[in-house]
Amino acid sequence: MTLLLALATMLVAVVVARPLAYRLGRDAGYPMAGLFLLALALVLRGAPEVLSGGVVEGRWTWIASLDVALRLRLDGLSLIFAILALGVGALIMAYCARYLSEQYDHGRLYMLLSLFATAMLGMVLSADIIVLFVFFEITTLCSFFLIGAQGLHQAKPATRAFVVTASGGLALLAAVLLLWHVTGTTDLTAILADADQVTDSPLAPWIGGLVIYAAITKSAQFPFHFWLPDAMVALTPVSAYLHAATLVKAGIYVLMRFSQPFTDFWWWTFVLVTIGLITTVIGALFALQQHDLKALLAYSTVSQLGWIVALVGVGTQDALSVAGLHAFSHALFKATLFMLVGVIDREAGSRDIRELSGLYRVMPFTAVLTAMAAMSMAGLPPFLGFVSKEESYYAFLDLPGTWGLVVGGVAVLSAAFTFAYSVRLVWGAFAGPTQQRRLYDAAPSFLAPAAVPAVVGLLLGLFVAQLNPLFDRSVQATVLAESARADLRLVPDPLTSPAFAMSIATVLLGLMLFRAREPVDRALQRLDLRVRGVDVYDRAYAALLRACDRVAAPARSGELAPHLVWPLLSLVVLAVGVVVLGGVDGVGPPVSRPEDWVVVALTALAVLGLCLSPSRLGAVVVLGVVGFLIAAWFLLLGGVDLALTQMLVEILTVAVAVLVLQRLPARFAPTPRTRRVGAAALAVAVGLAAGAATLLLTGRSGPTAAAQWYVEESEDAAGGTNLVNAILVDFRGLDTFGEMTVLAVAAIGLLAFLRADAAPDVRARSMDLPGDRTVIRSAARILVPVICAVSAWLLLRGHYEPGGGFVGALAAALALVLARLPRGADARSRLDPAVLLTAGLVVAVAAGALGLLDGSFLRPLTGSIEILGLDLSLTTSLIFDLGVFLAVLGLVVAAMDRFSRGATPTGGAIR
Amino acid sequence: MSAVVLVTVLVAGGVYLVLQRGLVRATLGFVLIGHAANVMILAAGGQDGREPAYVGEGRSSAGLSDPLLQAFALTAIVITFALTVYLLALAGHGGDDDGAPSDVEEEAADEH
Repeated sequence: MTLLLALATMLVAVVVARPLAYRLGRDAGYPMAGLFLLALALVLRGAPEVLSGGVVEGRWTWIASLDVALRLRLDGLSLIFAILALGVGALIMAYCARYLSEQYDHGRLYMLLSLFATAMLGMVLSADIIVLFVFFEITTLCSFFLIGAQGLHQAKPATRAFVVTASGGLALLAAVLLLWHVTGTTDLTAILADADQVTDSPLAPWIGGLVIYAAITKSAQFPFHFWLPDAMVALTPVSAYLHAATLVKAGIYVLMRFSQPFTDFWWWTFVLVTIGLITTVIGALFALQQHDLKALLAYSTVSQLGWIVALVGVGTQDALSVAGLHAFSHALFKATLFMLVGVIDREAGSRDIRELSGLYRVMPFTAVLTAMAAMSMAGLPPFLGFVSKEESYYAFLDLPGTWGLVVGGVAVLSAAFTFAYSVRLVWGAFAGPTQQRRLYDAAPSFLAPAAVPAVVGLLLGLFVAQLNPLFDRSVQATVLAESARADLRLVPDPLTSPAFAMSIATVLLGLMLFRAREPVDRALQRLDLRVRGVDVYDRAYAALLRACDRVAAPARSGELAPHLVWPLLSLVVLAVGVVVLGGVDGVGPPVSRPEDWVVVALTALAVLGLCLSPSRLGAVVVLGVVGFLIAAWFLLLGGVDLALTQMLVEILTVAVAVLVLQRLPARFAPTPRTRRVGAAALAVAVGLAAGAATLLLTGRSGPTAAAQWYVEESEDAAGGTNLVNAILVDFRGLDTFGEMTVLAVAAIGLLAFLRADAAPDVRARSMDLPGDRTVIRSAARILVPVICAVSAWLLLRGHYEPGGGFVGALAAALALVLARLPRGADARSRLDPAVLLTAGLVVAVAAGALGLLDGSFLRPLTGSIEILGLDLSLTTSLIFDLGVFLAVLGLVVAAMDRFSRGATPTGGAIR
Repeated sequence: MSAVVLVTVLVAGGVYLVLQRGLVRATLGFVLIGHAANVMILAAGGQDGREPAYVGEGRSSAGLSDPLLQAFALTAIVITFALTVYLLALAGHGGDDDGAPSDVEEEAADEH
């Protein structure tokens, strides 16, 4: 429970960051630090339990059926990383409160930093691998926003860091899913308890490889190391927190967490040790080359992370325990150094050692603290860095045969470079003649956050034996063996051990490099690598974009057909695939009657005519014929309402299409022969596929159970004898309501698209009937009221007999068309389509809301009233149907009104 | 079996038309494909029961057609109508987003 509380505390920090910064400005860092410490205290409440050999758990079930829960779990390994994330986080918050200038978006920074800390805490505490992945990704996102916080010049580095680490995140996702597949659970404890199952799985190399990729991208290992120095454009506190102490350790954490199933594989050791050693050596070499202190620290971080990765690769108990220790000590001294470089930058106005000199006289406290942290980094006793380096040598020498010697030798080389650049840092900034005499040491409140880890590094070095219980538990959690011991000590035992000799060699070699610093520096400055990671990345990125460009080219056409060809082709391929692979049960074909075939034959003829018609008007007329034939087919199948609707829709479609055609040429534009042939071939293929699907999927001859239910229950349940209408307005009223919304959207589209106040189009006048209109006017006068009456009658009786809102509205629309014909193009409709649509929707919602009286939306209420001796049974379904009626009418009025008046597109300039 | 042939014919015609130039023919093709979908939905209920789906006193409930599928198809018809009207608006008044040469552009070319 305390773990959930700790996470909740951090979420509170995220939420209050902005309001606090709004109130307090940069000083909001102090209360933020307090929240971090509170969360740390909550985590540490579980520490005694962990140190005595237990595990603290917290649980919040999310998706029970999928076995996904927020399961939290604190063991030795998570404890170390949680202390790092929250402890260093609190220091950074306090540091921000003095480092930031007054004018800055403090709230954003504090919010992102706490969000990052939350994700980091969640990642190390999560006992569910999916949740672990999610938190891993959140850290990547936070890093992106924190690097790119200040301006366009940071956009590229931020993007690079994001793309590299996000690709690692994808790899981790794949690894997590494979682990889930292999073990059948997402519970980390269960997976690790059953590590052998993963080891024995044929997928083990894939999972291991993906975990390695995720870790080396996140932790900036060769050949992906370039993003980290690049990311130093971020604010110094951000660099100190994310890119030295914590974010880059996320990769290490994942590597250590998942290492157990893989440590016995030769490739695991080989790949990790090789990558780690290459990274540590080149990182140290580049660090020695830098003049900018922050860049020096960035390459130093790359180098130290390589060291840890190599240790994880060695994979023995000793190596894994010292990997955790080195991650810990590195966070302490590197956070200190970053913060102090920030102090120097703020006070002296530069962090370039060519411009800094003799600062120790004016900034003595800064000098002492820097020297302490640098000594820890260089691996000098009695600092914690010495212990972790010394123990690392033991671990490297444990490798079998000559491997131990080779790896040990390379490690000494890297450590000697580390020693040299540590001295370079201190010497470059503080030694020499003092040029800036008017400087003062920074305020204690500014230095304090940096002083804490420096002092802690010293104390923990002196009393390193006190850390043994913690690191015992850490290594036990990593290698899953109760007997594992970290065995940390400051004084090597015996003093003649090879590791101690290596330490001495490191210092001697480092001192030699320092003595010869000028020739070494000249040689390093001449070192001009042909291949730079950033350039390779940029080229690969550009090439990828070009490739995407080519892949996407077919989808960029303005024409319709190139877009449609691909899904249509896929449909054919899919159909062929289904037929070839089988998997569809053969079913009896539907029963047909001779009269069906008459309809089918006529339809085939009409469709052929439609396809070949060169004339627009002809095509529209033939389309109407096809619609009537379909209506006839519906009628043959017993769909009376369906046929009625289809016929009315067809008449209206033709009417609207004719209005549109008035402004278009009489004939279609000719299509090239090759295109016609291709289209015909594809059309036949898709048609056959659709036909085959109909044959295979719809062959049942008996009525469905659902149909049977409606037949038996409709009259009692809904009071309607017209089953189709009862389904539309009662049983599936919500569907119908959704459909009304679609109609309304289409109508609103028309209204928005075609301006109402446009001048009547000259060409649209051609719809005016030629000659004398007396006949049609007289006819309309008689017919319109009759049709309106029929429409109302259809609406009212729809629940029991053929009819209903749809059919009624379509009939009313016919009356409108008829009334409009003799009136000319520029006559305005007396009905406002927007009002009709709104009224339709409002009436439907109101009818639905009445249903709430009886417990649910759209439930029909029935009752009967007696008017003039006639017993009328009424139902709210009728009101709902009235809403449908109005909405459909609104659409038709919108179309007639806008099309017939020759409205021009809104804005007019689209073409 | 008649439904199978009907769907084949309608889909083939519809696909042929949507692959032609200009939005008007594409709209016509779209209507044909809509018909095919409705026929297919109705065919799912089989073609044995063909009596109109009305119940009540004096009516037999044997051999009724499937009312649920008819309700589906009826909704589909009206939605197809709405979309057709919208497509026609685009075809008649729209810009050149249908690619060159669109119906409107041809007309402009005719005028010059």
